This record gives sequence, C-alpha cells and structure tokens, in this order.
Amino acid sequence: MDHPQTPRILAPHLQSFQHKLVRMLGKVVQLRGETAVIDAGGNVDVILNRDCHLAIGHAVEIIGKVDGNLNVKVQAATDFGTNIDFNAANAVVEVTHRHKEIFYDGD
Amino acid sequence: MPGEGSQTSPSGRRDGFNDSLRAVTIKQILDAQPNGDEFKIDGTTISQLTFVGQIRNIATQTTNITYKLDDGTGSIEVKQWSDADAMEVNPIKAKLVEGAYCRAWGKLKSFNDRKHVNAQIIRPVEDMNEVSYHLLEATAVHLYFTRGPVGGTNSASGGAAANGGQGAQTGGGAYGGADLSGYGQVAKRVFQFLRESPQSNEGLHQQEIAANLGIDMAEVARAGDDLLAGGLIYTTVDDQTWAVLEAD
Repeated sequence: MDHPQTPRILAPHLQSFQHKLVRMLGKVVQLRGETAVIDAGGNVDVILNRDCHLAIGHAVEIIGKVDGNLNVKVQAATDFGTNIDFNAANAVVEVTHRHKEIFYDGD
Repeated sequence: MPGEGSQTSPSGRRDGFNDSLRAVTIKQILDAQPNGDEFKIDGTTISQLTFVGQIRNIATQTTNITYKLDDGTGSIEVKQWSDADAMEVNPIKAKLVEGAYCRAWGKLKSFNDRKHVNAQIIRPVEDMNEVSYHLLEATAVHLYFTRGPVGGTNSASGGAAANGGQGAQTGGGAYGGADLSGYGQVAKRVFQFLRESPQSNEGLHQQEIAANLGIDMAEVARAGDDLLAGGLIYTTVDDQTWAVLEAD
C-alpha cells in the first residue's frame, strides 16, 4: 500500500514504536529551526523537513518515523489550529491501542 | 447482462433490508468481509458508511473524481461521480485539496477484488476535532457490534458505569421507572429486592429472595408470576431465577 498505516501515539509510546511510522497530535512548544518540540502527552523532539510550517501554540499533526533516540523525523505536518480538545485526541490514542483491531495491524 | 440484472432484482434481495449509516475506520473497510454483493463488518451487513480521512491524491476523470483517503489506519479510493447538471464551480470542491481532511459518506464497492467507496457526499473537515470525534464514534460502534450495547449484561466496564448512573437516577424511587401501582405488597418488595441486590446477569433465585425478605416461598412465587406476567422481570437460567427487565 502506498500510504502505510500510521498508528496514533503519544510521547509514552515512542519506545515501543521505534523505527516505525507514526502519527502524533501535539501542541508546538518550541521552534528551533531544523527541530521543534511538541507536547503530545509529554515533550517530543521532532526533526522538521522543509515543508513544515509549525506555529507556536498551535496543535499540529505530524506523520513521521521514530528514530533510535526517540526523536520523530517528520514526513508531513498538518496544522490543527488552536481549538483542539486534547482530551478527545488523547482518548483516540488510548482506544487506538486498546482496540487496535480497527486501527492498525500489530506485528 | 440479463443474468446479472435478475440477480440484483428486488425480489431476490428483500431479506434483511438495511439502510443504516455506520461510522468506520478505513482499516475496517479494508477488512470488510464480502458476502454476495454486500459486505460485513463485525459480522453485520453494512450499507452506508461514513469516515474521515486526509486526501492523499486526487484524480479527476471525465466521469468521476477519485480521492485517495488516508486516516492513519489505511487508505482507500473514494469515487465521486460527476453530476452533469452541476457543472458550475462548487465552492466545497475547492477546499478538497491534497493534505486536507474530509468526511465522506458512501457505499463500499468492489471491482476486480479492489475495494473503493462510491461517495454521495465528500465535504472538508472544518473543525479538526471532528477527526477525534469520528474515530471515537467508530470505536463506540465497533464495540456496540462486538460486545453489545453499553449497560448490556456482557459489557464489563461500560455496564458498571451505566449502572452507577442508574443508581443515582433512581435514588428517589425504589422501583426506578417501573409502575408497580397494580401489584401487591409482596410483588413490590420482590421487585425492589431484585432491583437493588447485587447479582450476576443470571439474576436471583426465588429461594434467595424469599430467604432475604423473610417471605414464604409460595408467596414469592405468586408475586414472581405477577411480575413475569406484567413484563417487569424475566426468567433467566430456569423458571425460578429472575432478573429485572430493564426497559429504556
């Protein structure tokens, strides 16, 4: 499939998704040029690409690969604005893993 | 052509008429089991589907526009057939660009073993919370079909929560919403005991009820008959074991 599954995760899941493609929704807390920090159930360092346009304080959904240092190398980022209910978004992550039969294939 | 036409004639398909609308993830669509011309998800025949995804590709053809939608659980082609009468520029369509999230409504089709969805409507998602909302709704519907309704006898945590709510609601009246005005004193006590005692989904045996209430077995049996006849309780594992019939 040309668009592989991207399970939704939060910072505590990074360890178990090393070297995998994931989807994370978090709030941008720091921009440092080539990298940024997002808060997605904990701070996560993300490595940006040239097409990313992140804004501090905005929610952003990133698709990226978790590397060995638990940074996320971004492939795509979508601005989710400033009106995101993170309780709902984090509940989605929780059900993603609790009822993964409808969300992703395990290995 | 004649053969196929008669296959799908109304006479052959009237059983189980179904025009439901179901919220799903794309993985569920890809996993749907073919069943004749139809598909099943979680053992239930599907009709209309709705899902939310990000547009990965747009292919405009003369007869349709094919969107490739990806919701993180998988990706699928969604075809919207062009309406020749609506050739003027549609303001909604202008917002359906690559990378944008949208919601689609439509029916699952299969052509040469390749699934796609024929969509009646595709509209952009304006409030990104709809993505979370949709995935939570799809989960709730999935759990409904695989584990039964919330508060049903076999859903552990959901049931407990629902019962908690019920307890709070009925704190004032011992009989909940049930009308026991036409019943005798014993029947009222039996019903109240059945309502309020902790029990498994098998309910309680009449012996246990009699012992706890200190009422004669025969009287409890008679009261039970009245409550059974009135549809307020039902028998479970045998004729002497009853549970309250929860009517919503």
